[in-house]
Amino acid sequence: MAPNGVELQQLSGWLAIALLVFFYGGTFIMTLGIGKKKENADGYMTAGNKIGFGISAASMTATWIWASSMYASATSGYTYGVSGPIHYGLWGALMILFIYPFGKRIRKVAPRAHTLAEVMYARHGRASQLMLAGSNIVGSLISVTSNFIAGGALIGMLTPFTFQQGILAVAAGTLLYSLWSGFRASVMTDFAQVLAMLGAVVIIIPVVFFAAGGTDMFAQGAANVTPQQGSFFSSDAFMNQGAPYIAAVLAYAIGNQTIAQRLFAVREDLIKKTFVTATVGYGATIIGIGMLGVMALYLGITPTGGDVNNLIPQMAATYLGPVLLCLFMIMVIGALSSTADADLCALSSIMMADIYGQNVAKRGKANPKTMLLVGRITMVVATGAGLFFASGQMNILDLLVFVGALWGCLVFPVIASFYWSKVTNAAFVTAVITALAVFIPVRFSWIPVDGLWGLIVDVISIAGIGVVIGLMSFGFFGGRVARIAGIIAAVVAAPFAFGQLHEYAVLSGSLVAYAVSTGVCFLMSARSRMDFDFSTIQDKVGDFDPAEPAVPDATAAR
Amino acid sequence: MEPIFLTLYVLMWPVIVAGTLFVITRAFLREWLEARREKRHLV
Repeated sequence: MAPNGVELQQLSGWLAIALLVFFYGGTFIMTLGIGKKKENADGYMTAGNKIGFGISAASMTATWIWASSMYASATSGYTYGVSGPIHYGLWGALMILFIYPFGKRIRKVAPRAHTLAEVMYARHGRASQLMLAGSNIVGSLISVTSNFIAGGALIGMLTPFTFQQGILAVAAGTLLYSLWSGFRASVMTDFAQVLAMLGAVVIIIPVVFFAAGGTDMFAQGAANVTPQQGSFFSSDAFMNQGAPYIAAVLAYAIGNQTIAQRLFAVREDLIKKTFVTATVGYGATIIGIGMLGVMALYLGITPTGGDVNNLIPQMAATYLGPVLLCLFMIMVIGALSSTADADLCALSSIMMADIYGQNVAKRGKANPKTMLLVGRITMVVATGAGLFFASGQMNILDLLVFVGALWGCLVFPVIASFYWSKVTNAAFVTAVITALAVFIPVRFSWIPVDGLWGLIVDVISIAGIGVVIGLMSFGFFGGRVARIAGIIAAVVAAPFAFGQLHEYAVLSGSLVAYAVSTGVCFLMSARSRMDFDFSTIQDKVGDFDPAEPAVPDATAAR
Repeated sequence: MEPIFLTLYVLMWPVIVAGTLFVITRAFLREWLEARREKRHLV
């Protein structure tokens, strides 16, 4: 076993520079092959809506695996024991799986869209569009910042360079290859990044396992583990880690433009295959990385500086030799870069399509060249903003929880808007604002959540459980099964949840957001006389570039 | 919990990841070759 306080090995400065040049230089060279003499705004956002299974599955997997998810899974394993990584990785993976039935419907009504917010504009109008776009922008900025911080921390720990130099290197490297070709560069480089990340997991987990003592580690380290940590059915792990994530499954998928962008980019008949593969790829990778935290727990390792985010680099620096340590660094740099470039592309698409295309220039009058300029300026500004926030090392996880709840307020109104012709713009906006107004005091305990108010929160949260299960079922099985599943879930949960749920602020806050937005949206829409014709959406949302004759490109596919 | 069971639990994930990586890589290579044959861009 590795003793605590052991000197961690570092890579030399020149080796670290060589690795960064190899990684970012290699990805940049990959993108040179996809440059086009005649640039195309739609290609910059969605690559023409027809990418294949291999590249889209790689891209979905690489994008969803971000450096923070690796760190968080290991933290969960270290904190909650053997079930911790499952309660992080499984639900995170299901975010991808549960969105695909809705994705198929969204593609059907808006086959050539670029962003989800753009479709909301066609369905409802500006207020709904800007609410969704605004939440997407905040979420992507947080994600960019988080990935820069992870890169800075990694470089600061494994090399002689500082945190600040680290964030500057990953920001410059990511911008370098994303700026010119946008989404096409992002998905193209995702394949190389997924190859590095998944390949590293296949090698590193077994190597660390055997270097740390193999099976003996569990026999000798059993004393370091509490009964809850040693159980696969830990209620601590479920209530504090798993349940809030189950509640967030649909919220993160709906609120994340990086998923929507890939949904609009993949060939329509490959959506299911792509999303199922990415679910398995993400789940196994992140749960696998979480095993480093479980092993650290059994080994009795204390995180450097008391910061659990140091666990993964610490385990790598303790048990891996120089060559595998380089591979480890490439794995984390790949994870953070693939997500950061996807977020830069998401931000640029929102600014191009939603802000410039729909609100500044108006459809039909948008100049594709100006759109491309808007997209590139957005990437540069977003990188600068990410660097600014990352330098202050803000506590972004709190922000992420907040944005997650904002997305929770949007889930029912967004989904219902694609299926139910009676949903109005007023119902959408009122539902989201009301849910947010109730969520914030519950989540941040502005009013003490106890006594009668605590019980009221419990009742609303139980309704929220029904909504979450109902919506999950609806995507796969339709309305009838969803209503039955939702009611059964709420009834079964009620005896356990009533009087208890309000003590879990993160979980009850999210459930309240779901329940209130659903209730308000349903009641207002049920009374409306609107009968929206979904077939009109594809006329309002489409390509910005003029159609080109299909001429094969002789220089392509090198 | 039995150490042998925990060992299998830890080592099963890299195996699943390897399987997924194989599926993605095989599909990518097929698409790349097809794009080359048809003389068009992959993305």
